[in-house]
Amino acid sequence: MNEREIDRHMRVLRLDEAELASRRAFFHLGDDDLAKLAALRPHAEKHSDAVVEKFYELLTGHATTRRFLADESTKRRLRETQRLYFLGLFAGRCDLEYVRERVRIGAAHERIGLDPTWYLGAYRRYLSLMRSMLVSELGLEGALAAFDSLEKLVYFDVALACEAFVSAKASTIERHQAAIRELSTPVIRLHDRVLLLPLVGAVDSRRAMQVMDNLLARISEMRAKVVIVDIAGVPVVDTRVADSLIKATAAVRLLGAQTILTGIGAQIARTMVQLGVELSTMHTRSRLADGIELALSLVGMKIVAQSASEEP
Amino acid sequence: MSAGVSFQQIDGVLVVAVPPDLTDTIADAVQSDVLRHVEHHGAGGLVLDVGALDTVDSYVARILSQTAQMARLMGIETVVVAIRPEVAATLVRMGYTLPDIRTALDVEEGIAALRRAEATRR
Repeated sequence: MNEREIDRHMRVLRLDEAELASRRAFFHLGDDDLAKLAALRPHAEKHSDAVVEKFYELLTGHATTRRFLADESTKRRLRETQRLYFLGLFAGRCDLEYVRERVRIGAAHERIGLDPTWYLGAYRRYLSLMRSMLVSELGLEGALAAFDSLEKLVYFDVALACEAFVSAKASTIERHQAAIRELSTPVIRLHDRVLLLPLVGAVDSRRAMQVMDNLLARISEMRAKVVIVDIAGVPVVDTRVADSLIKATAAVRLLGAQTILTGIGAQIARTMVQLGVELSTMHTRSRLADGIELALSLVGMKIVAQSASEEP
Repeated sequence: MSAGVSFQQIDGVLVVAVPPDLTDTIADAVQSDVLRHVEHHGAGGLVLDVGALDTVDSYVARILSQTAQMARLMGIETVVVAIRPEVAATLVRMGYTLPDIRTALDVEEGIAALRRAEATRR
């Protein structure tokens, strides 16, 4: 797990000293609780292997959780992590470093796709294992008092892990959206100073805005003179789509470049005229090939057939 | 007042670099400086380089349009060059498409566009 990512979650969740103190106050997790847990450490050490072992029986006993324990090395590694986590509950500390480790757990679960349901179900099992351990070590009376402190810390942990899970999920979604945006506005360099923007899929106002910004940036960067916008892949061209195309064309012109609109089939042509959309100021073509030919002529180029003698 | 705009003659074309931080007053001054320069020295065309502007508001947009119209009355064609992508996007979103202004990517392209316009006029 990337440390920078953990830093990010810590920032997003605003986990600083003040927040830590506030949370501990709300969970009634005092230093006395931590001291009580630290005193139980020898008992915890004695039972750690057995607890982890039983815990893994639950995980391997269910089809969903078993999937996350596919290979032996993962299992060994997780067993060790689990043992350290277990002993960590009896370390007698609850500082920002401790918080960070809990955030790491939630983020790791998100990364591997283990939803909170499985985490909470497993944790419930974990609690009951620890309760049995406390009863066998301290008797019913002593176990009850110790369990109270343990429960506070456990709920404190679970809250952090769940929040980190949600935060990680949000950043995953954000990443995916960025990837989709990137994919949805590909501007292709067709020839020297000629760009092609094939629009595929529905164009809403948000996407139209992205398309225009991206297109303008690329025109300026590539010093393009002509850009072909092919709308053959746009399922519905209504007044709003037409309006954003007109706006984009106007902006392209302000940069000193020209737009050619291609992919206008019979249906779109009819719709445009029936809607009264004025596209006469734009270069328009039905076929992309014709648009390319026009674009090349605008930059002083021409496609010519190879003469018979030149053919291979 | 004078805006202290620097003028450059390239191939007989007057090239004006519009200064950044254009207030309304300075925009007015740039306009009158440019027109006076045209009156006194003549020009084969006018290139207004707005590459230094990171914003263009409605007033400046109008000044640009008007300057082009005024220069046309004096027999000179104008090209506005180097409009930044974000400026173009904002202008269009505000509804300013500047249809009567000729545009080009940069000074060089602007001069070429003037040459072409001149060739078709003859």
